[in-house]
Amino acid sequence: MLQRKLFITVFLTCTSLFIQAQDIDLNQMLEDEQKKEEKDKVKYVEATFKTSRLINGHSIENTQKGVMDLKISHRFGTINGGAYEFFGLDNASMRLGFDFGITPRLMVGFGRSTFEKQYDAFVKYKFLRQSTGKRNMPVSLAFMTASMVTTLKWSDPSRPNYFSSRLQYAHQLIVARKFSESTSIQIMPTLVHYNIVKYIADPNDIIAIGIGGRQKISPRVSINAEYYYQLPGYKIPGSVNSLSVGFDIETGGHVFQLHMTNSKGMTERTFISETNGKWSKGDILFGFNVSRVFTLKKQKKK
Amino acid sequence: MRLAFLTFITWLICTSFVQPVIYTSNNGVVSFRSEAPFELINASSKEMKGAIDLSKSNFAFRIRIRSFEGFNSPLQKEHFNENYMQSEQFPEASFSGKIIETIDYSIKGKYIIRAKGKLMVHGVEQERIIKSEIEVTGNSIRINSSFSVLLSDHNIPIPRVVKEKLANEIIVSISTELFAK
Repeated sequence: MLQRKLFITVFLTCTSLFIQAQDIDLNQMLEDEQKKEEKDKVKYVEATFKTSRLINGHSIENTQKGVMDLKISHRFGTINGGAYEFFGLDNASMRLGFDFGITPRLMVGFGRSTFEKQYDAFVKYKFLRQSTGKRNMPVSLAFMTASMVTTLKWSDPSRPNYFSSRLQYAHQLIVARKFSESTSIQIMPTLVHYNIVKYIADPNDIIAIGIGGRQKISPRVSINAEYYYQLPGYKIPGSVNSLSVGFDIETGGHVFQLHMTNSKGMTERTFISETNGKWSKGDILFGFNVSRVFTLKKQKKK
Repeated sequence: MRLAFLTFITWLICTSFVQPVIYTSNNGVVSFRSEAPFELINASSKEMKGAIDLSKSNFAFRIRIRSFEGFNSPLQKEHFNENYMQSEQFPEASFSGKIIETIDYSIKGKYIIRAKGKLMVHGVEQERIIKSEIEVTGNSIRINSSFSVLLSDHNIPIPRVVKEKLANEIIVSISTELFAK
């Protein structure tokens, strides 16, 4: 009887040991550990778009902290000018801009456009960052506010002219979501304000809703589209909604954005509210933005 | 009598199974270096996980790609994750396998060993034998190693425009100390 008990005990411990002694998959063990840890961390979505501009307008992206982004943008003439105008390439309008990343969430920038000798400056702040893990945030949210000054000579110097008449403002909310590695979409409700308008019937406030997105076709190339719908009654009569499609091509520190658009301007008030070219009539312009980043602040070695 | 014999046999078989003796670490350091003619890139992470089963000389190491810091600019880090490592799709790199040499872990000292296993980077597995220095201190095991990884081995193409800025051969060093679990 004792022998029997002894046998059973030994047998049982033995089998339990045998089960334990089975090959432990260390790799699996570490993977499980990693997964458990990741659940307690907040993982922020990065690189919703390649650069801080979608095409004409802003994207949800900020210039990174301590980085200067030099932006050189050109818009050529309309392609329906034909061979005589070399499909628009004879006429170029440009904007030279400098963007600075102040903190990971805050960026500022300014620029000068040849169109109406315009200066512009903006501030963009990211309130929410799309994240997964411990905190689940479905979208990123940013607010952008810009002001623009046209410095053309006064059309009628004999009457009293005020500096404030040269100013326009744009306020924009950007809601963006990166749906997958390659697909991102954003919606941009925008208010453009003119201190002074050309005709008495023109509204001072233009309200538009923008929608834009990108689809990556390779890790370094994406197709972008951007459309601004102006609410009826809040638009300058005769203006057309801005529609642009293009490519982002990224090479090292540069992002090249090549696009076709019906807007000649490169600041909010010019492309959202003063576009007058129609795609259907061939009033399409070729344009490009070149972005080159310079790191101003040395990265901290961790 | 027959039962006694059986008991003995069972016991014998039983003791012949070696118990796993697992040492682990959560904060191993991995750093890499790309030395191209026009640019030197350095980055490192302190989040390498490691485990060794001394009884079987099995080991496994894992590192989260996004945990690498350093680089020459934030954009470079973004490109590293987005374009080269595609860390959304392949979030981790790992090396797991077996130590070829048998070491008596009860004796303190430094040994040079060869670790044979599968190195997984960018979703591509390569069979590798990596030389390492292993130090048994008594209550821990220290591992130091330096080896190279060819980007071309792991299906990470170098675009022609950055050919002078990114080396195909990346020098990786690891350093970690594992403790009994």
